[in-house]
Amino acid sequence: MRAYLLEDIPSLLTHLGKDRQLFAPQHIEDGDLHWLPADAASEPALDSKPLLPLSSPKAFFFAERETLFRFDGSNFIETLPEVEPQALFGVRSCDLCAITYQDQFFKQDPYYQARRQATLLIGLDCLEPCDGGFCPTVDAGPFVREGMADLILQHHEQGWLLIAASDKGKKSIDGLPLPPAPSDWQVQRERHEHEIAARFPDATHIEAGVQFLNSGEVAATTWEAMGLQCLSCSGCTSLCPSCSCFATFEHPTEEADNGFERERCWDSCLYEAFQREASGHNPGAKAGARVERFWFHKFSDDYTAEFGRYGCVGCGRCERICPGVIGVHSVMKRISAQS
Amino acid sequence: MNGLLIPQPIRIAELYEDGEDSRHFTFEPVGDTSIQQAKPGQFFNLTVPGHGEAAFTYLSLPDSDGRCSALIRKVGDLTSALFERSKGDLLGYRGPFGQGIWPLDQLKGKRVLVLAGGCGLAPLASIIEALLADNETQLGLIYGSRDPANQNLERERAAWHKQLPIIEAFDLPAAGTKYIGTPLNHIDAILAQLGGEPEAVLTCGPEVMMNAAADLFIKRGLSGDNIWLALERRMHCGVGLCGHCYLGSSYVCVDGPVYSWNELTRLRGTTTAT
Amino acid sequence: MHKETKHTTKVVNSICPYCGVGCGIGLQVCGEQVIGVEPQRNHPVSQGKLCAKGWSTAFALDPKDRITTPLIKENGQFRPASWDEAYSVIIEAFTAAIEEKGPDGLGIIACARATNEDCYAAQKFARAALGTNNVDHCARICHSPSVAGLRQTLGSGAMTNSIDDIEQADLIVIWGADPTENHSVLGGRIMAAKLAGAKLLVVDPRQTRLAKMADVHLQPRLGTNVALSNGLLHILFKQGWEAKAFLEQRCENLEALKTKVQDYPPEKIEAITGVPAAQLEAAARLYHQAERALLAYGMGITQYSNGTNNVIAISNLTLATGQIGRKGTGINPLRGQNNVQGACDMGALPDVYPGYQEVEDPASNSKFSKAWGKALPGTKGLTSLGMAKAALNNDLRCMMIMGEDPVVTDPDQNEVRRSLQALDLLVVIELVMTETAKLADVILPAAAFAEKDGTFTNCERRVQRVRAAVPPPGEAKSDWKILGELAELLGYKGMAWPNAEAIFNELAALTPIYGGMDYQHLDKHYGLQWPCNEQNPAGTTLLHTEQFTRGKGQLIPVDHTDPAEMPDTDYPLFLTTTRLHFHYGCGSMTRKSPLLERETPNGVLFIHPSDASPLGIRQGSPVRISSRRGEVETRAVLSEELPEGTVAMPYHFKEAPSNQVTNNAQDPVTKMPELKACAVRVEVI
Repeated sequence: MRAYLLEDIPSLLTHLGKDRQLFAPQHIEDGDLHWLPADAASEPALDSKPLLPLSSPKAFFFAERETLFRFDGSNFIETLPEVEPQALFGVRSCDLCAITYQDQFFKQDPYYQARRQATLLIGLDCLEPCDGGFCPTVDAGPFVREGMADLILQHHEQGWLLIAASDKGKKSIDGLPLPPAPSDWQVQRERHEHEIAARFPDATHIEAGVQFLNSGEVAATTWEAMGLQCLSCSGCTSLCPSCSCFATFEHPTEEADNGFERERCWDSCLYEAFQREASGHNPGAKAGARVERFWFHKFSDDYTAEFGRYGCVGCGRCERICPGVIGVHSVMKRISAQS
Repeated sequence: MNGLLIPQPIRIAELYEDGEDSRHFTFEPVGDTSIQQAKPGQFFNLTVPGHGEAAFTYLSLPDSDGRCSALIRKVGDLTSALFERSKGDLLGYRGPFGQGIWPLDQLKGKRVLVLAGGCGLAPLASIIEALLADNETQLGLIYGSRDPANQNLERERAAWHKQLPIIEAFDLPAAGTKYIGTPLNHIDAILAQLGGEPEAVLTCGPEVMMNAAADLFIKRGLSGDNIWLALERRMHCGVGLCGHCYLGSSYVCVDGPVYSWNELTRLRGTTTAT
Repeated sequence: MHKETKHTTKVVNSICPYCGVGCGIGLQVCGEQVIGVEPQRNHPVSQGKLCAKGWSTAFALDPKDRITTPLIKENGQFRPASWDEAYSVIIEAFTAAIEEKGPDGLGIIACARATNEDCYAAQKFARAALGTNNVDHCARICHSPSVAGLRQTLGSGAMTNSIDDIEQADLIVIWGADPTENHSVLGGRIMAAKLAGAKLLVVDPRQTRLAKMADVHLQPRLGTNVALSNGLLHILFKQGWEAKAFLEQRCENLEALKTKVQDYPPEKIEAITGVPAAQLEAAARLYHQAERALLAYGMGITQYSNGTNNVIAISNLTLATGQIGRKGTGINPLRGQNNVQGACDMGALPDVYPGYQEVEDPASNSKFSKAWGKALPGTKGLTSLGMAKAALNNDLRCMMIMGEDPVVTDPDQNEVRRSLQALDLLVVIELVMTETAKLADVILPAAAFAEKDGTFTNCERRVQRVRAAVPPPGEAKSDWKILGELAELLGYKGMAWPNAEAIFNELAALTPIYGGMDYQHLDKHYGLQWPCNEQNPAGTTLLHTEQFTRGKGQLIPVDHTDPAEMPDTDYPLFLTTTRLHFHYGCGSMTRKSPLLERETPNGVLFIHPSDASPLGIRQGSPVRISSRRGEVETRAVLSEELPEGTVAMPYHFKEAPSNQVTNNAQDPVTKMPELKACAVRVEVI
């Protein structure tokens, strides 16, 4: 990877924005942060102390809702997305780990890949722990990992450190006059990351929880008690950047007598009927089992061979938005207290 | 070749009633549609335009003309809509899916008991046919239904009666029926006809029944590696993406739908809550 | 074949259109469509949470199935029409009805889910443009007893505390409600409070989620709330556990109450309610030990023919324990709809103007007559059920229903249908073709919450801004705009507002409890809780701190009465109605989500296995439920969470409408129908 010094963000935005639609996290009137279209005049939120938009960039690749195909009465016609080149500017390491995870999960999915291939990822190193995040514990931050972004930005005393982290990234900054970064930038960056990781609040409940979960020592009654608290609101699965379940559904079109479109939309394994069959048989009938399985999917070693990491990237969103008080911190504390 | 989630057009070639609320359908490709070969135990997804898509096990596997069949029971919206369709009507097809890991090689030459309950007979038909083709394999079938009207695969069973010992059991007593109860009530009887303890058991039917059957044979000393269950799950994509058919860290549509009892127990054990 | 990719291009903050919690919701917009939602992290009530219904909002707003032009029924079929044509049909019929029956030959049903501006417009239309006080809305069948009961005991019918009092309470009492199902985000805060150490007392015949978490769960028989409350008071007074100083200083009529509850000893309570004496004492003890006890209640108190008395009974309990007027306490009706509090505040009721100023009070009449430039009718009007009866008697000839679906949601469905069919003209203002809309002569397309500006008032009296994120589809318009246009055609010019803000400013000037509010202030503060006026410019979080709205709190002795229809040999089971988490009201919005629709059980009769088995009913058996009103066919769902002898049905499903069989026997004060208890017979089909 080669690194440069960038004086100001607008110049990079202008350059990248020449042939791409830019998106960046931006504040709206109530102070909250959302992924919205950006241009050189925008003020992307690139604070050292990160505030994660509640909606992760997941929807840029795994669409919340999209048409898969249409049937015109005789043929089933695939409806791939029309994608313009785009760039996501200022993605935090946790969300980038989740994108990498989903790149692997959706590797055969043409809809996901069409959007993914058209996207340049500009990552942003976090220089302070965010509220509720625990990325160091799950090897998902605070700095952007190699191979997960095309460009990486980091606040620097002289403006910004800009790392060309992939061929695509290198190409994207061709033509931008950038002095090289100091020669020891890599060593400095590594040391810097250790310092920041050490400042994260205690996460022993996460480590312990993961251990007990994998050793099968969590009592069924613990899961059942937490299951009682689950309202199946689907907030966790909507906002979790590594969640990938979807439902398919259809509606008629006017194209032919029996013309229709099949769509898919984000689904949630916490819904009671997620696994319910037409016969009524429902392996997921009990809330405790559903809750348990969600955490198994996020923290079980059974998945690491395929993905190289846990599903959980330590972003902390689920804790923030769960009305039932069973987000990641609550669950892991409960598990490690019981065991 | 169509995209991953895109059906190909097929049509209903034939259909006939085959048990209460059950119908035997034969499907054939339309136009450019190419239907790949499949292995016993695999399944396909059928789209009924406007009513969704559901998974069905092959009864007869696709032949060289791409024709295949399934025994389908009317239980919900999609199957009700399918039952209103006639010969020649256009449907959608995606498949084959699953591993089809009926372990044919492991079963050949052995003494095998096939245990079917309710609509679980159809998914076993292709393996029964495959094993019947091997002279060394000793095969026996025990099949439970609610009552004679509820039985499926009348034609297939008529042929099979000449080729292997079959016991048909009924939950409800009906005139002339000898074996009352579930298949598990008559194990000794079928094994007597089969000629001894089975070296492998293949089962399909309500999950409760399959679990009980596995327990029974474990107690009789059979290894959990030689007991095979064909599972049913809610499925949408058939390719391990939508998540609905999860079973521990496995997706039934990809790794299954047939699992050995040992593997199934391991996967089920990842969830302890009830 | 390619399709356009959709990205969020802006996020518009608004308020969730479902229940009375009033969660902040961010609408993700692409072009002219809401494509998704996300929670509002900083919202004081929802604090970054949403429930399954809130999360499904984009589906609810799907343009598919929306009515986008006026429709006129011709030969039994609807055809599109211009606004002019539709209006002229309406004006003609209204004029004829007025000529024949006077203005009281017309009636308006306003909408508890429309904005305050819409509801203000609805009652102004009825009163000033038409000249009638026949205006009502679904609070009638929901919390009208709260309004009536608490006005008598406290002087004000609204939630006395605020949602954030939940975290201040050391005892939370949930009576006749299941907030984790219906006010889920608020229910979540109750769960969190319990986990953080608060005690929880749940009174509900069913084993609800909170009942399972409760320290004490009382399971009284249907319709025995008064006995239970009197029984608790009996113990409290006997033990000397009542709040003596508080009662002395701030309440009146104590002796009468004490005398009354002497007749309600624990053994009698056990006989009436089925609650064992030991449990009753455990509940009384929880009250005794509580420094701050917060009571929240719902339809299990109000939807009875003695609903007003039920409210009075628990008000007595609250006053006797002194658990009101302080943080972490209070008596808190859980208003159901996103804006039912607002619809009541706006006077969409037959007996009050905005701000609960009485129609029959000459001073109020004069004030509004002057403000609106028209002499207003001086006698109170008909309630919704009164209008239905008047329609059957041919006294009411025309009705306009805004955004409500009484055919599905009101009791005794057959009678509702008959009453609507008896009208000369039925106008329905709606988003989609509901069962009620199907009976209309004219349908006018309405804008949904995401398509207009306005305000909603949640259950804690918080008036919050609702903001247009996308334009209404086709020719749909805000209800207030439609009413303004009709008023003009009727010759009344006082409703030609240029925008929603103009309406709000007008209503704030006439409604003292909203007096200090305007859009800028509401925008700045995530809304404001009324009363908001000169004395309380930042709104009021806590009512009745020094004195009650009426001065002293009134204790009113009440007696147990049975529900109007008890089980008997012909109809041996009690039926109660419930709500499911996944659906809202008649389902017109939630059932558009494939995920929520999938959650719908395949049958909606919930029955205890002990009741099911002797009837030959198994899980999923097709069953017929019948009562003296009608019958429904559905499938059975076995549930051990119900008491034996009581079956339950949700009311969301038009294909299995529980209101075929429910009873419209009414509370004499409020005309609240007894939706929570009637007698049925169940048989397997």
